[in-house]
Amino acid sequence: MNIHHILGSIFWLLIGAYVTIAAYKLGLGYLRKPGPGFIFFCAGLLLLFLASIDLALTFISRQKTYNADKPLWFGTRWKRVLMVVGVLWVYVYIVHVLGFLFSTFLLMVFLFEAVEPTKWWIAILSSLITILGSYCIFELWLKVSFPTGIMGF
Amino acid sequence: MEILHNLSSGFLEIIEFNNLLFCFIGVLIGTLVGVLPGIGPVGAISLLLPATMKTTPLSSIIMLAGIYYGAMYGGSTTSILVNIPGEAASVVTCLDGYQMARQGRAGPALGISAFGSFIAGTLSIVGLMLVAPPLAAVAIQFGPPEYFSLMCLGMTILIYLASGSIIRAIMMATFGIIIGCIGQDPETGSTRFVFGVPDLLDGIGLAPFVMGLFGISEVFLNIEHSLEVRGIFETKIKGLLPNLQDWKDSIMPIMRGSLLGFFLGILPGGGAVVSSFASYGIEKKISKHPEKFGHGAIEGVAGPESANNSATGGAFIPLLTLGIPSNVVMAVLLGALMIHGVTPGPLLISRNPQIFWGVVASMYIGNIMLLVLNLPLIGIWVQVLKIPYRILFPLIILFCLIGAYSINNSTFDIVLMLVFGVLGYLMRKYKFEGAPMVLAFVLGPMLESSLRQSLLISKGSFLIFFSRPIAAAGMILTILMLISSVIPAFRKKREVIPIEETT
Repeated sequence: MNIHHILGSIFWLLIGAYVTIAAYKLGLGYLRKPGPGFIFFCAGLLLLFLASIDLALTFISRQKTYNADKPLWFGTRWKRVLMVVGVLWVYVYIVHVLGFLFSTFLLMVFLFEAVEPTKWWIAILSSLITILGSYCIFELWLKVSFPTGIMGF
Repeated sequence: MEILHNLSSGFLEIIEFNNLLFCFIGVLIGTLVGVLPGIGPVGAISLLLPATMKTTPLSSIIMLAGIYYGAMYGGSTTSILVNIPGEAASVVTCLDGYQMARQGRAGPALGISAFGSFIAGTLSIVGLMLVAPPLAAVAIQFGPPEYFSLMCLGMTILIYLASGSIIRAIMMATFGIIIGCIGQDPETGSTRFVFGVPDLLDGIGLAPFVMGLFGISEVFLNIEHSLEVRGIFETKIKGLLPNLQDWKDSIMPIMRGSLLGFFLGILPGGGAVVSSFASYGIEKKISKHPEKFGHGAIEGVAGPESANNSATGGAFIPLLTLGIPSNVVMAVLLGALMIHGVTPGPLLISRNPQIFWGVVASMYIGNIMLLVLNLPLIGIWVQVLKIPYRILFPLIILFCLIGAYSINNSTFDIVLMLVFGVLGYLMRKYKFEGAPMVLAFVLGPMLESSLRQSLLISKGSFLIFFSRPIAAAGMILTILMLISSVIPAFRKKREVIPIEETT
């Protein structure tokens, strides 16, 4: 049995079940005049059905699908991925407070320095160049209006 | 004569400075993403989609199309010099291109690849010009049942060509339809799966969805591993112009590749990747010296490189005449056209001739630009290959953040992009494919409205999909393909078909 395969199937099974129930509540209408939940109900049901088959196949098939014995994150730097996801999540919340320029500068320094360590001054310089370049292209040339934050920039 | 007249009006559009500039930017970025492994045309197009919001629809499409066919040129450079394909359509070029480089023939390999791409690209534009207008005239008579069956067929072919489990590919397409239809119901106005979030009333945006699924997830996958510098095969690139013998060996593979690529490009689900593999297989089969393939045969570079470029021209036909994208890149381009208020379909050529003929003319100009960019300037691209990924990935993330934010000036789109980035990363880890999901996401709303309209017309009878010839043909083909994928003999064959471009 392959635990990764089972987990994947169960995830989609749950999604399919949720969509089917929620779509039913939206209203299916009639075949001659389908309602707003009709397509979701059909798709949810299909997802539920296919995920069930996919799950069943894991138990029926004797063949291992892929690296069954090896954890998916074995030998990888998954903590760095988690760290980047976390930092990007924080970025979304601080960009309105600190403004685009300052919060993106902090983000860039982190990305240049923390994921693959380099000299601090290189990370700061690279971040400055990147921020100024993107500011000129997007804000000045393409007139994208970025959040300014409490500092006004 | 009418075609020449229309083409000349297209050239008049394209020679405007702005359009020329955007064409150049497109092919330049296309070559760049083709050269750089880790970001493909889908990621690049979705990344730059927001940047085109301030331009005209024509300039925007010229640039985005340029990225697509430009990537096909650039992809061969890494295949030949580093043995790493810059994008999926150049995988097969590694086999003989890299061997040629090892034998000191990197120059002719790069040269024939660029010339082959140029010839094939130009021929496919001629094909596009000749085939699209009559097809659009026929497609005007298509109703909702025909569109529904053609969209089902397109998605089924893409699912059929997916490399992993077919059940999982259908699951991804189904989920794509679900999230594509989120938002207000077009008929009743009731909200569907918006969870009280006003930003979701108009549905999930294409740009944050694709940037997350391909751009951000690709970064996550790459930073999982050590970001060491790629090793470039150190050889002096000389003699980019192939000699007479090289031309003799390559001219027929180029012609065959052009023809094959064009027709495979038209087919829904087909495209650059499939055609390059098919071309390689055919060239090897009909060659008098098949044993040379894999050891530096120039035909093994000329054929596939021509085929993948020709496929890009062919792929525009279903998009511009039927409004149905044949692959993921076209799906993103469809989204781009819709954002600019242009609806691709049978009426595009008659209602917006400047867009159709402008794009066609830009492809001629773009191919010439690409030839100049890829031959005399090859040294620059070799240097670009040396840029370490630890510098590239923060830039990719920054462009994704700005791209997602700038469409609606909303940080909610950044959140969406992050969610789909994490989902895309997990999907790749758990061997679920993103390509069927993207195509279904784009086609979802059209699929829903054509299904509901068909059922309204037929008063609830599904027989409407089998009582009209084109709709019936599409549905029967769809069913046959689905059945064949579960028959063991066919399933075995399907497993060796390469995956379509996903990044």
